[in-house]
Amino acid sequence: MPISPLVEITFALSAIVILLTSLFVVLVKNPVRATLLLILSFLPTSLVYILLQASFVGILQILVYAGAIMMLFTFVIMMINPSPKDGESSIGGESAFSGLRGALIGLLVVGFAGVLVLPRVYMAASEVSTASVTKPGFGDLSSIADLLFKDPANNPFTVSFELMSFLILVGIIAALNFSRRKGAAAPIDPAISTRPTEALPLVQRESATDGK
Amino acid sequence: MTMSLFNLQNCLALSLLLVLIGSYGVFRRRSLIMILLSVEVMLNGVNLSLVSFNFFRWGSIDASHYLYMLSIGVAAVEAAVGLSMIIVLFKNYNDISRERVAHLGENA
Repeated sequence: MPISPLVEITFALSAIVILLTSLFVVLVKNPVRATLLLILSFLPTSLVYILLQASFVGILQILVYAGAIMMLFTFVIMMINPSPKDGESSIGGESAFSGLRGALIGLLVVGFAGVLVLPRVYMAASEVSTASVTKPGFGDLSSIADLLFKDPANNPFTVSFELMSFLILVGIIAALNFSRRKGAAAPIDPAISTRPTEALPLVQRESATDGK
Repeated sequence: MTMSLFNLQNCLALSLLLVLIGSYGVFRRRSLIMILLSVEVMLNGVNLSLVSFNFFRWGSIDASHYLYMLSIGVAAVEAAVGLSMIIVLFKNYNDISRERVAHLGENA
């Protein structure tokens, strides 16, 4: 399967940019910068998805992931404005994971895991037999829609897709429950009381009195 | 046959490195928001491995694109619930560091 050098160059550059920005997401101190760097790392990721003939996934990565979820993060970070003391190395000795020693321990653990796993990933991936793309319109929106919604009575994908909405509903209820104040029996604000005569005092309009 | 750069091994190595970077952030950072961001980095790597497996090894069906949609749905729910928890913690304690939350049940 010949691959044009443009694809390889694009993949290599995207991989480098993804790795560098993700590394800085983890290392940088300011949370706002970390979020913006994570959004920046999603753009070459969507490029890699497009190279993998998953154009709809690439669009979703930008629209939903970078556009919606990361904006939620940015919004919350701007709202609570956490102090930038996070990850500061001046707290050395307080716990095993603080300071330079903690950084070394973390690097050792993660690097050791990588050294153990990475060659096995290479070997295992090269042993699986190659199958090129055979489905017509692979990764198109119509192809995914067929997969999801064709013959919905016996399609397991349809059921799981609808079950996903229940998961989101549970998430909404949980978030609402967290945002509710302790002691749900708090008195209702008179401004939003259900009786309209008590909630909003009626105001005589001047034009109505003038007309009489 | 020349060695191609754009193959399954390199895509999987990229996703593995993303997962490792994210796990380093989860172990290392103190702020809960940064831990959530590191989890997002890990999720990004897992999604990349799903789609690359589908492209290189399983070209007769594009089910991993659907799995990707499920995955970002779970990521959205996780972000919503986690961020609302963080907001509540910040309102109550004015601090979202990991040590503060670790003592939450005892002397809160």
